[in-house]
Amino acid sequence: MIATLLASVPPSGAAESPYALLGKGAPDFALRASTGINLRLSESRGDVVLVGFWSSRCGVCVNQFAALQVLQATYGSAGLVTLGVDVDDNQAAARDFLSALPNSFPLLMDPAKTVARLYRVDSLPLLLLIDRSGVVRHVHRDYRAGDEAGYLAQLKTLLDE
Amino acid sequence: MNRALKMLTLAALMLAPGLALTLRAAEVLPAQSSEARALDEEIQALKKDVVDLNRDLFTLEEELLFPANTQVAVFLSMDVGEFFALDTVQLRLDNKEVTKYLYTPREAEALLKGGVQRLYLGNIKLGKHELVALFTGKGPHGDDYSRGARLNFSKTVGAKYLELKISDRQRKLQPEFEIKDWE
Repeated sequence: MIATLLASVPPSGAAESPYALLGKGAPDFALRASTGINLRLSESRGDVVLVGFWSSRCGVCVNQFAALQVLQATYGSAGLVTLGVDVDDNQAAARDFLSALPNSFPLLMDPAKTVARLYRVDSLPLLLLIDRSGVVRHVHRDYRAGDEAGYLAQLKTLLDE
Repeated sequence: MNRALKMLTLAALMLAPGLALTLRAAEVLPAQSSEARALDEEIQALKKDVVDLNRDLFTLEEELLFPANTQVAVFLSMDVGEFFALDTVQLRLDNKEVTKYLYTPREAEALLKGGVQRLYLGNIKLGKHELVALFTGKGPHGDDYSRGARLNFSKTVGAKYLELKISDRQRKLQPEFEIKDWE
């Protein structure tokens, strides 16, 4: 299934298509977290939400994960909620991946890819910034070291709104 | 003395524009604040109109999409919940899955406080139908628990309302699942 998701990744250098949900209301979803409790996106309405889609087979995801840990630890009290969505087919692999990482935010399991499909995930990692009224305001495909500076600038604007 | 008088006059002349401005500002401020208040009231009224319009549009949309003659609505309620912690409900209508809902702790708590959730709204033909609900969660001893309930019902003219009811059966120390037809 991940192969299907990644198959549609545009070749490097090709212009990326605009993200279909940008500027639109983020579709609601509920998923089970790795801790066993269920979480629903709409319950975070009023907060700024970062939703990151990852997989244990995506090496870059680990680096982005670390960057988001720092953001969540710093801005959590200011109204930031970070949700990680793991799209691994293999739940055991996903748990191993997650247990190796320190986590300060919920990690949701999406083995059936229902939420990944809903959010048109065409590459991993995919990071969405959702404002306090539930609108997808920014999207980041891929991750390079230093990208967090860009996340931070956008995040501060959304937190100030 | 003469010099002191001159100094006082000069000081008065220097302060006069400032004083005049302060007095003027004091006159203008209430006017501005009343204008701001009026504007704020106007904005609030507009917001209320938008909410009302949105509600009317929602009702209209529902009436168009789900006309009473074909409408079926399924509600869910919980009573007590000592022997069952709700996790998911799957609904099958005429052997076809129509919804699967995952409950967060906050939603389950709201149901336990007496909330009733509209779980499904759809259209069906007149005649006989079957509704199957599959409940999963934690049972009386905290272990995984799964139970089903089934109802055969007849859809007639007018909207059909069905209720999934989860309650505690104190005598058997077990949860009870039933589907009620609001005739």
